[in-house]
Amino acid sequence: MPGAFIPPILIGLPLLGAIFVMCTPKGESSLHRGIGLAFAALTFLVSLGLISFFNLRNPGMQMLFDVEWIPGLGAHFKTGIDGFSLTLVILTTFMMPLTLWATAHTIEKHTREFIVAMLVLEAGMIGAFVALDVFVFYVFWEVMLIPMYLLIGIWGGQRRLYASIKFVIYTMIGSLLMLVAIFYVYAKHGEVTGIYTTDLEALTKLALPYEAQVYCFGAFALAFAIKVPLFPLHTWLPDAHVEAPTAGSVILAGVLLKFGIYGFLRYAMPLFPHGAQVLAPYIAILAVVGIIYGAVVAFAQDDVKKLVAYSSVSHLGFCALGIFALTDQGIEGSIFAMLSHGLTTGGLFLGIGVLYERRHTRKLAEYGGLWKQMPVFAGLYLIVVMGSAGLPGTSGFIGEFLSLFGTFNAQETFPAVAPNYLPSPRILGALAATGVILGAVYLLYMFQKVFFGPIDKAKNGRLPDLNGRELSVFVVLAVSIILMGLFPRQILRSMEGTTKAFLSSYSTRLAEPDGPPHIFGQLPAPAAGALSANELKQTLGKLADDAAATNRALQAAAGTGATGAGGGAQ
Amino acid sequence: MSTFNVGDLGYMVPYLILAIAGMLVVMAEAFFKGSDRSALSGLTVVGALASTVSSIILVRQLGADERHVLLGGMLVADRMSYVLAAVFAATTAATALISPAHQREHGWQNGEYYGVMLLSASGMVMLAHASDLCTVFLGVETMSIGVYVMTGLRRRSKRGNEAALKYFLMGAFATGFLLYGTSNLLRMQSALASTSNPGLVVAGGFLLVIAFGFKVAAVPFHMWAPDAYEGAPSPVTAFMAAAVKAGAVAAMLRLFGTALGGDVLPFGTLGWASPLVVIAALTITFGNIAAVRQENLKRMLAYSSISHGGVLLVGLAALGLGSATADSAIVFYLIAYCVTTIGAFSVIIYVGSAKRERLLVEDWAGLAGRHPAAALAMTVCLLSLGGMPPTGGFFAKFYLFKAATEVYDGQLLWLVVIGVVNSAVSIYYYLRIVTAMYFREANEPFSPTRSTALVLVMGLCAALVLELGLMPGFWLRLVG
Repeated sequence: MPGAFIPPILIGLPLLGAIFVMCTPKGESSLHRGIGLAFAALTFLVSLGLISFFNLRNPGMQMLFDVEWIPGLGAHFKTGIDGFSLTLVILTTFMMPLTLWATAHTIEKHTREFIVAMLVLEAGMIGAFVALDVFVFYVFWEVMLIPMYLLIGIWGGQRRLYASIKFVIYTMIGSLLMLVAIFYVYAKHGEVTGIYTTDLEALTKLALPYEAQVYCFGAFALAFAIKVPLFPLHTWLPDAHVEAPTAGSVILAGVLLKFGIYGFLRYAMPLFPHGAQVLAPYIAILAVVGIIYGAVVAFAQDDVKKLVAYSSVSHLGFCALGIFALTDQGIEGSIFAMLSHGLTTGGLFLGIGVLYERRHTRKLAEYGGLWKQMPVFAGLYLIVVMGSAGLPGTSGFIGEFLSLFGTFNAQETFPAVAPNYLPSPRILGALAATGVILGAVYLLYMFQKVFFGPIDKAKNGRLPDLNGRELSVFVVLAVSIILMGLFPRQILRSMEGTTKAFLSSYSTRLAEPDGPPHIFGQLPAPAAGALSANELKQTLGKLADDAAATNRALQAAAGTGATGAGGGAQ
Repeated sequence: MSTFNVGDLGYMVPYLILAIAGMLVVMAEAFFKGSDRSALSGLTVVGALASTVSSIILVRQLGADERHVLLGGMLVADRMSYVLAAVFAATTAATALISPAHQREHGWQNGEYYGVMLLSASGMVMLAHASDLCTVFLGVETMSIGVYVMTGLRRRSKRGNEAALKYFLMGAFATGFLLYGTSNLLRMQSALASTSNPGLVVAGGFLLVIAFGFKVAAVPFHMWAPDAYEGAPSPVTAFMAAAVKAGAVAAMLRLFGTALGGDVLPFGTLGWASPLVVIAALTITFGNIAAVRQENLKRMLAYSSISHGGVLLVGLAALGLGSATADSAIVFYLIAYCVTTIGAFSVIIYVGSAKRERLLVEDWAGLAGRHPAAALAMTVCLLSLGGMPPTGGFFAKFYLFKAATEVYDGQLLWLVVIGVVNSAVSIYYYLRIVTAMYFREANEPFSPTRSTALVLVMGLCAALVLELGLMPGFWLRLVG
């Protein structure tokens, strides 16, 4: 397949870079940064190749790469790209060089290890986005943990030990239950077909009993909900963000959180459609709670980083709500919101980094009146803030609008399959929409506290404005945010086909009747003479109908007879 | 019964090499003057490696289903037995490589140590071949008695004496269970025709489970393990944690996989599998929870090794309940576990010195800054013990739990859930060490034990751990 080698190359390049950096002598920090940046930039350039090979008319997997990895297990190193992963991969490869360029010079100790951790993290993230084999996905999913743990633990703030361990343990507990569900699907698929494989496409063809689907989806959903993070599993996020160095925060918010939503779309929902259907209302409600809770709590923070961390809880709630609306607009809006959130929240954290470098504090109360000192920064940061708040004309608006729109439309789209799909989607949508207003409130509050008002702290009096490096970063971000807001069509088009295919396959799979594990569409016929409960009901109903009809006919006959007789008697 | 065939000896080469090398070393010890015994270590390594190589050659010669009965049914030779033999012999070689540095540094240069180690390893190989309860008993005793001696070799160390005594008493206690269980089962065999008593047989199975529970340090028969691990010299602890545990599991694999598998017992395999699943659940959970609170590295690894024993018991239970891949999963797990354990202990030996053994977690603070390679090797090993990809420990756990999930009707699914949740707990205490090494600053410079062999083993183990995780296909073909 054309371009099949690009995804593996995208995984390999950062790893190669990591090996290169490891081979350079310690202490040559500018060399380490240079190599790291070069490899990250090269990865970005190669990832643009994905766009040229991407066929908009093909809703399925493209650029498939498939080699056998572990024959005894049936695991293949299989990667590919579709409308869901294309933009997310490019977001990853875009954010990484930007982050390295913007923040690597602030890392003073262990520069070499820092670059290695970032590059390995990038390889893990790309791998998890392009993997099409549950085993490969799981490996990459876990591989991402260790570099992030090191990033928080080595280059983090005061309470970094606590935050790094909390991050790992939280994620591990979720992902290990997912592992059990993977075992279960794997074993059932092997039992039914005789072929033991971890290939996602093959496993998706398996239809499990409804009850098992609910448990398996629950296990997957726990892993992904922790990653998103959905309320009330979000408590690791503020700690991790506050303690992580700027680069860690940017990547964590910009890319890592997206794996929760992506996991639902790629794995949990296609594998267990019925389980998704049963649990969707709960997840949607939690998402709405998260949207409002995150916004309210963000407003109460006096630490800027914590504020932005809680704003992520709120923003990712829109994405979760959008996918479980199961409408075209909902899913596309959700992915678009993720891309936008990657840029805007990444930008917010980078801005906090800029401030922190100058003042070494993150307390809101310590700032004020910076507009006069740093007008360029203030102007560019305003665009980022507006993008995050979802002002029309910025990227944030498109994503939030579409996912809310999708939610409003939820009930009408799926009446045939599941009438009670979302409990009162309009109310959920309306509640979620308050999150947009609250978002504007806390973000503007933050902006006002930092940039407006008099300069009442002497230290704020002589802050230098953005230097060339910072300027370039913020210009790139601001331009992307506005471009995405003005021309969303190009990006949305890339996911249209995949979304439609996803929804149609989801609804056909949802209509699959309950039964023992079987290949989709091939429900084994019940043994001769045995009737399933459903058929029994139908047969009984038919018999009853027949009896009633006969009765009516008899009565009618008797009636006419009687009248006839009566008539005759008259 | 006693049909001795000279051709059988060809299949016993790995065992014979170890036994003969052991005796040679013991004899050679008498001719040594002075206190340096490193030459004996060389001899041991040569013997153990020769045994490893011969096992590997035999693995490659035998077909997948080929099976030879030796010495009139006392021993059996198939691919699995040679894979296990190779594991034991290679672990012995690695232990012999890391020992001289520790002996020099801590001044316990006993030459008989190497001979006893080889003889103990020969007992393990005997277990790998065992197809008769008497062979099992002989193998267990040959293996254990050697290790009791090794534990107590540092005569002037109070901790060492306590450890050896505890280990010996508990081992002797377990031997009682083993003998009584064996006699019960043998009774079944002899009285099969006339008055077979199912109660006795079931009791026999239970007693064997208890006896091996002691040997693999399963809860509630684990009390000796932390003290013995802590008191023994570090290379001996490595040997105990890796090879001896593997030997006991190999015996269970043989015993429960063949002799007690299928419908031999009145309740089929359920007779021993049902107590085993309870013990496995307790072992995994308790081992992990206890490890969380340990400050001493050797004690922590002792509890961690207890919980790894529990995971192996899950595999054995899956084997009893008919999982097709359970036996290869157990063998793969043993390979990964032995490599990882030896690697971790070699780093411990490297970091410690005579003045400061650096066994507390806080003693490891800042190792990454001073000795990055050692810290990296330790991290790889710890991540493997915790089951994080892309290490061998991850794939071993993955494969074993997968085998347990395949058991008919998902009977062991709950045990798998307990197992994986415990993995998350275990990550906590393994990462404590990583945290200390990477996130804290060193208070004083390290004075590591310098030894080429030690560094070699360290690097080799770390590389192998990664190789086992990235390319497990080769190893699966070997064990499958």
